[in-house]
Amino acid sequence: MSSLMTPPSDPPPVETQYLASPPTEDRGKATVPRPGSKMDIMATAQNRKATKPLETVPAGEQAIIRSERFSLYYGAKAGVKNITMDILPHMVTAIIGPSGCGKSTFLRSINRMNDLIPHVRAEGRLAVDGQDVYDKRTNLVNLRQQVGMVFQKPNPFPKSIFDNIAYGPRLQGVRNKGQLQHVVEQSLKAAAIWDEVKDDLKKSALALSGGQQQRLCIARALATRPRVLLMDEPCSALDPIATGRIEDLMEQLKTTYTIVIVTHNMQQAARVSERTAFFYMGELIEYDRTAKIFRNPGKKETEDYVTGRFG
Amino acid sequence: MNLRTRGALDRVFTVLAGLSVVLLTLVLIGVLGPMVYRGSGAVLFGGTVEFRKMQRDLFKRGGSEALDAEIAQTEEARREVYSLIDTFRKGIDIEAISDAARRINRDFGEELRFKGVATERYTELRQRSRDIRDQLEAAFASQDINEIRTDLESVLQSADDPAFKGTGAEGYFKLAKDFLNAAEQVDLSKHHEYKASLQEVEGILFGSTERPGLLGPRPGGPLPPLAMLHYGATRWDQARQLLHQFKYRQFWVEAEPNAPLVRREEPRAALFAGTSLEPLFGYIQANAEKMLHPRFTVYWQYFLDDNVDSHYFGGVGPEIIGTLLITVLGMAFVVPLGVIAAAYLVECTADNWVMRIIRMSINTLAGVPSIVFGLFGLAFFILFLFPRLGFEPKPCILGASMTLAVLTLPVMIRASEEAIRMVPQSFKEGSLALGASKFRTFVTVTFPAALPGILTGMILSLSRIAGETAPILFTGAVWIGPMAKSVFEPTRTLSRGSYGIAVEDRLAMMVPHNQYGMVVTLILLILVLNAMAIVLRSRVFKKLKGQ
Amino acid sequence: MDRDVTVALEPAAEASPRPLALTPGEDLLGFVGAYLGRALLLVVTCTSVLVVFLILVFVVLRSVPFLGGYDLTKFLASQDWRPTADDPSFGALTLIVGSIYVSVAALVFAVPVGILAAVFLSEIVSWKVRNVVKPVVEILAAIPSVAYGFFAILVLAPWLQEHFGFTTGTNALNAALILAVMALPTIISVGEDSISALGRELREASYSLGATRLETVVKVVIPAAHSGLIAAVVLGMMRAIGETMVVWMASGNATQIPHPWWDLSQSIRTMTATIAGEMGEAPDIGGVSHRSALFAVGVILLLMTVVLNVISEYFLSRAKKAAGKT
Ligand SMILES: Nc1ncnc2c1ncn2[C@@H]1O[C@H](COP(=O)(O)OP(=O)(O)OP(=O)(O)O)[C@@H](O)[C@H]1O
Ligand SMILES: [Mg+2]
Repeated sequence: MSSLMTPPSDPPPVETQYLASPPTEDRGKATVPRPGSKMDIMATAQNRKATKPLETVPAGEQAIIRSERFSLYYGAKAGVKNITMDILPHMVTAIIGPSGCGKSTFLRSINRMNDLIPHVRAEGRLAVDGQDVYDKRTNLVNLRQQVGMVFQKPNPFPKSIFDNIAYGPRLQGVRNKGQLQHVVEQSLKAAAIWDEVKDDLKKSALALSGGQQQRLCIARALATRPRVLLMDEPCSALDPIATGRIEDLMEQLKTTYTIVIVTHNMQQAARVSERTAFFYMGELIEYDRTAKIFRNPGKKETEDYVTGRFG
Repeated sequence: MNLRTRGALDRVFTVLAGLSVVLLTLVLIGVLGPMVYRGSGAVLFGGTVEFRKMQRDLFKRGGSEALDAEIAQTEEARREVYSLIDTFRKGIDIEAISDAARRINRDFGEELRFKGVATERYTELRQRSRDIRDQLEAAFASQDINEIRTDLESVLQSADDPAFKGTGAEGYFKLAKDFLNAAEQVDLSKHHEYKASLQEVEGILFGSTERPGLLGPRPGGPLPPLAMLHYGATRWDQARQLLHQFKYRQFWVEAEPNAPLVRREEPRAALFAGTSLEPLFGYIQANAEKMLHPRFTVYWQYFLDDNVDSHYFGGVGPEIIGTLLITVLGMAFVVPLGVIAAAYLVECTADNWVMRIIRMSINTLAGVPSIVFGLFGLAFFILFLFPRLGFEPKPCILGASMTLAVLTLPVMIRASEEAIRMVPQSFKEGSLALGASKFRTFVTVTFPAALPGILTGMILSLSRIAGETAPILFTGAVWIGPMAKSVFEPTRTLSRGSYGIAVEDRLAMMVPHNQYGMVVTLILLILVLNAMAIVLRSRVFKKLKGQ
Repeated sequence: MDRDVTVALEPAAEASPRPLALTPGEDLLGFVGAYLGRALLLVVTCTSVLVVFLILVFVVLRSVPFLGGYDLTKFLASQDWRPTADDPSFGALTLIVGSIYVSVAALVFAVPVGILAAVFLSEIVSWKVRNVVKPVVEILAAIPSVAYGFFAILVLAPWLQEHFGFTTGTNALNAALILAVMALPTIISVGEDSISALGRELREASYSLGATRLETVVKVVIPAAHSGLIAAVVLGMMRAIGETMVVWMASGNATQIPHPWWDLSQSIRTMTATIAGEMGEAPDIGGVSHRSALFAVGVILLLMTVVLNVISEYFLSRAKKAAGKT
């Protein structure tokens, strides 16, 4: 286990950037009495991140996704308002918040999935890799290939497992059978579902279980080799075992990918993420290291929410 | 109002509403039941030996030694019928036997000349022959049995004369004996009635110039021009009807003054009571099966065969082919148009005036009466478009299918639209999120997922246009005619045929099973298509629910 | 964690990140492609508009020689339809009245049964019974009109003649009965849809006040669904007025207006049947001719259905709005 949890011996540059931050800064405040369960979560989270340095919110240069006063309107109604946040590469960033607060809206804004909805209007700036995604000249195809998405409900196409995974590579023009085979196998292995499906790749993807389907969707997203993976409540339809497997998966994937996950499950956010953003009523209330958000939130709303006293 | 009456009213209402649905079901049964029952007779019936003969001759099917043997057997059984009738005829058909007597006289003269008999002898024998002939003719013409007896006895005296032995003149004595026999038994005053009745009997048994009889024309005789008259009752149900007609004479009487005539029946055998023909009635009733060999037959080739003599024989093969040709060609026009339009309406939604005009047009089109589509097809496709494309401006398969395509366009668009709308948004999102373009997403994800639904819509459109008649009346369907050799010729169809066979065809009215067979084929075709659509639809629902 | 899983994929983007911005060429190509594609689809979609337009133009065009050269009041008000006489006369009043007469008679039979059945299906029976009854309605709708006509002339007409002592079995009653059966599926399905579209609250409110089912249906459901029910009736009327084969085969085709007006046992003749029956023999010659007169009858028919269509659309949209409110 430890071999997996320890960061690579040669940590990526982004991580080293914040090594200097004092690791014990906010420990003392953690003594505020909380529900036992909360402590347990943090204990686990703490345990997992024990070897990791704590960081402060980073400066902009290294951010892969950068949102500046970004708002998105559904007609006259705002889905999200004035969001300013930077998302760092090779990390898991969690977005939490009560239902209807704009988490999905923000997430779907990043790869412009909201374009499907009529009368949608964006304001401010939302850049991926320095390219404003709402610029008219953004290459949507490339954007979506580099910013993959996994949806709340697994949505495999009604095709075979193989065709599901090969869908993205085929879009990119890969026709070679051997190459496709290779990509499919790699992606399924990366999504930790290879062993379960390798015998029958011709089977319809709809015949898989919910958890398998979700991992298949992750594999499908990975097959296009994205740099960022957006996950909108990927585990909400799954049982604890399937959830556990997907969390493990994220743990592995974050070394190579940048992951943004929306979740209602606070334990999950605490377990898997390095950063957590708390949204409320379409606004970003607080964005900080996960440990800080859960143990020592800076805002009253955040505290109420994470301690379950919300509403 | 008190509670009791309110409750009672409520119950009455519920029952009434229930009755309305019961009524619907009854209507359905009442409409389909009789037609399907009678139409099934086109395929399932008791086929007689005549049917097998007809199949062999007209459709080159099933001729074999077994059939020859069967025909021989039935002919064997029929021989008695022929001989009974011939015998009777000798007694009553005065012209025929008088002719025969005259012929014998002539032949006998020739015979004598041929033998080179001496002149005096020749003159004497000729004179005697002439006397005998005259006596016979007098006897035949007489209605008094005593007179007949004396005449005939004097003729028969010459029977032993060596001069006549072994010559053609012997025929005189046979005639005389037969006639004496017959005359002893019949009422001579009824000669003419017998003759008319015999003609009727023969019409029923051997067919008339109007309609076929029970046994078909007598072997060796001249064949009537129409093929349908070459055979007897090909079906046992027909045979039974003819047997009934044979057994009972029908006539109309005025039961009470100024009232419509009513039909009465009387046993035909009574007409021939005491004559040599009387046994015929018993014989035929007893031996009908031996003479016809009815056997349960599944004539599935009904759906392949062309008809003979305006649907008297044969099936609806060309009509089925014509219907399929027109509908399939029509679908080839309408499916791409319908699917593309539906895709546009679903995927490129914008609630602007263009969209409203399109929707309004589709609704209007759905409401246009089918006969107006016929007018339009005639005026636009055939009279306007065809000459400009270099085709002959006449009704043809192409014109009909284009007209039907236009007619079913709204059905197709609505069905495909619904099918495309049913594809979950998540499929599209999944594809778009992988970097597929909108077009790519539609072609690779949405369309395949909507395909079963679109197919359902297609089948429904197909079944709709397969039954349409009015639009193709002047654009490409005909009632009689050869099989089309290209799409530029008109064709027969089941729908046009159903109309024609119901009201335009005199011969077909004699064979209700073929009338009903045509329309039932059409209904079956359509119901089968509909059933396919329903099965497909429920499959799709299950599949989409599964996720 | 004792599973030994290796992350096998390297993000390709690290090696050669695809540019997120479009090159000017791609931009132009995408723009033109998207617009051309959309335009093409729009053109195909507009076939229906084109067809409606063409129907209007061509049917009207063919009738212009007649409408221009014949006395319009005579055409619409005279009962004298003798198109093939030496001195032909084209008075279409009988035909127009015949069409309306037989359709209205059909509705008189179909509407009560249809609405009762719609209420029965949506208000009274369980989902299961409904699934059994629906196919009956669907089959009734699927039977082609020529089969109904066949039934009318070969089964129903002799039966009517025998049991009611009519002089002829092919008469207005026969045609109206069959048209009623054909209009029923339309009335039932549209009616049922509009009743089912009403919210449950409406009914519950009525039941909770102690109303019986009859009272709920009559006082609450039907008034609330009246737009949809009217649309159902109008659509049924459209189906009946545009029907050709059945009236041609079943109505007797006598050019007369029934007298007394309620005597359904007389033969009548409709516009559709006249077109179907006479177009084949009407030669294609210019001017005021039998053929152009038949096209003019087609124009009247078309106008009537367009008007009915507009009415049904109006009521359907009102029904939709009403359903949206509850
Ligand atoms: N398609 C849409 N049209 C109009 N308004 C929308 C649409 N989708 C979302 N909204 C509104 O935008 C706001 C944010 O919605 P969003 O789906 O982002 O919430 P969420 O945080 O993801 O909630 P949940 O946790 O329930 O998924 C909500 O108030 C919602 O009503
Ligand atoms: Mg959400």
